[in-house]
Amino acid sequence: MKALALAAGLVLLAAQAQAQISNAYVQVLQTTLKPLLARDGPDAAHFRGSLVFFNYCVTCHGPNADGKGRAAKLYNPAPANLRESDKNGQYMKLIIRGGGKAMARSEFMPPWGEELTEEQIGDVVAYLQSINTRK
Amino acid sequence: MRTTVPAAVAALAILLALPAHAAEHVVSQKGKNFSIKRLSVQQGDSVKFVNDDPFAHNVFSLSDIKSFDLGSYGQGLAKSVLMDKPGVVEVECAVHPDMKLMIEVKK
Repeated sequence: MKALALAAGLVLLAAQAQAQISNAYVQVLQTTLKPLLARDGPDAAHFRGSLVFFNYCVTCHGPNADGKGRAAKLYNPAPANLRESDKNGQYMKLIIRGGGKAMARSEFMPPWGEELTEEQIGDVVAYLQSINTRK
Repeated sequence: MRTTVPAAVAALAILLALPAHAAEHVVSQKGKNFSIKRLSVQQGDSVKFVNDDPFAHNVFSLSDIKSFDLGSYGQGLAKSVLMDKPGVVEVECAVHPDMKLMIEVKK
């Protein structure tokens, strides 16, 4: 009788251990199959800003942000080399929002204030600062 | 009379040099789209780009036969481009990358 009770206890323990392993496995699967959203922070802003840049700015400023985009041939002076820009974030936000003409720069830099949100403008400035070679 | 005849001949020569039926085609920008996706025009025709959106557009083309940038212009404003060479002109908007228009310029 004691042996029977012992055997039953062992079976119960084994079942509980198996359940714990299964739960852990499910948690790992859930975590890896559904990645957590990136926490906000500089890296996330740079990533979001790169998406904005490659959607809206790349035509003129180029994929390397060096002012050699496919439309650069239309303009003299050429679009700015943003890798070597000496402008601070506040200036960049102003010229992106209001366009080149508003800043006494090229009239062909469009005002983006109606198209981009303040968050997008902030993100693209963060991205440009992250790839600036002057710092 | 001696002066009017050469003048008339010169005027006639100028008229003959111009395209016979230069037309103006109107393309609207509305809802972040061009009103048409493809347009066929004759060499010498012009295309008028009218902004019917409540925000600015910036129409441009990098095509070999006609490259231009009309700059940024707001609601109700329009700018025209003369299609003076035959070929294909791909038109885009700098502010709205999904806007595309193909213009075929026929001889």
